[in-house]
Amino acid sequence: MLQLADVIVVNNYQCFVRLNKPSLISSTVLQFKILGEIPVTREELLSKKPLHVLEKIRENLERLNEKMEVMIELQKHGHKEAPLLPDASLDVMTLLSMPDHLRKTAMTICRCGRATAEEVAEQTSRARAVESAYLNQLVIMGYLKKERKGRKAYFYADRDSPG
Amino acid sequence: MGKIIAVHSYKGGTGKTLLSVNLAATFARLGKKVCLFDLDFRAPSLFAILKVDTAPCWLNDYLNGACDIKKVMIDLSSRIPGNGKFFAALANPGTEAIRDMSAKDRKWEMRALGRLLSLRNTLLNDQEFDYLVFDTSPGLQYSSINAIVTADFVVVATTGDRSDVDGTRRMLRELYNLFEKKTGLVINKVLDSTSKSKQDEMNARVKDVYQVPMLGLVPCFCEILRAEGNLIFAQDKPNHPFTKILEAMAKRIDANQVN
Repeated sequence: MLQLADVIVVNNYQCFVRLNKPSLISSTVLQFKILGEIPVTREELLSKKPLHVLEKIRENLERLNEKMEVMIELQKHGHKEAPLLPDASLDVMTLLSMPDHLRKTAMTICRCGRATAEEVAEQTSRARAVESAYLNQLVIMGYLKKERKGRKAYFYADRDSPG
Repeated sequence: MGKIIAVHSYKGGTGKTLLSVNLAATFARLGKKVCLFDLDFRAPSLFAILKVDTAPCWLNDYLNGACDIKKVMIDLSSRIPGNGKFFAALANPGTEAIRDMSAKDRKWEMRALGRLLSLRNTLLNDQEFDYLVFDTSPGLQYSSINAIVTADFVVVATTGDRSDVDGTRRMLRELYNLFEKKTGLVINKVLDSTSKSKQDEMNARVKDVYQVPMLGLVPCFCEILRAEGNLIFAQDKPNHPFTKILEAMAKRIDANQVN
């Protein structure tokens, strides 16, 4: 496969893509070997809406970032599917024992009940991408649940499940 | 929007209940709409202080998800002069209820936290309460920490006793700070605090030891001991110096001047 784009992973939260020669794209789907598939069609890439394409790439990269976060966490802890602590509950003693950066995020969800990464970021004055990473980390740890509604992902503490 | 105030301490016997009852009564006397909560489920005492024998529902029932908060709140506004509103939500003093509350698991405590947090919506937003005052159990235990997490402001009661000073200092650093809570320290049972110079000296020492804002100094009043819990000073003795001190504290909290 031709080297169509350079993917530069800056850190856990940022990743740049540089398209080398869009005109050389022969397949309809741009494939990222490591990161997965980004459904950007050739027509879209060559159309006269570069902003739209960039926007789509950005959205997809954000989703990939979230997935990568999950993969990194899973690798770290050696678990495959289930949350790290299946019976984990976001009670006050758990909040107390958390590292400061995660406590801030978890407390915000406690107060709001249910929120998107963007809403949490507004309260904590930290970047949306940072909150997204922390929230996903809390989901992996089993303290929060995540629910997708359309394009938005809502995070909440599951207080109602039996146990 | 109203505020939730938790009154907490490291040790027992520092005067949490005395402070919370009188603080709540003072707010009501200042014309505010207040509800006082007994969150000391291990040793409930507000039913005795407020002389209420039975309640249609207890705070325990609300936290268990068995009833609405409206069913728990008892209207005691008629006891307070003026237009203020004074409600109380009491803990069940029965032995079985106390036993039941101390056997709750983490999951239950998490739900209880959710229910306490939802009071912000039901009482502060919808029913326009000005203050919810939480009287808590001493030390680090679930019901107290749930109250602290829910609160906007924590009144930390302490005495000059050395068994209390170290623990309080640790709690300020390792509990309230971690939850980023605003705190105001009340030193209770202070001896010889009548002179201005003595008060200034105390204030400076406290700031040095605890590194947090002072809310007030409460001298040791023999009349309080003599009343044996039968009087609510803020309600029954409006001109007593203790009532005046509480009034000053309430006004500082109300004006957001604790810093």
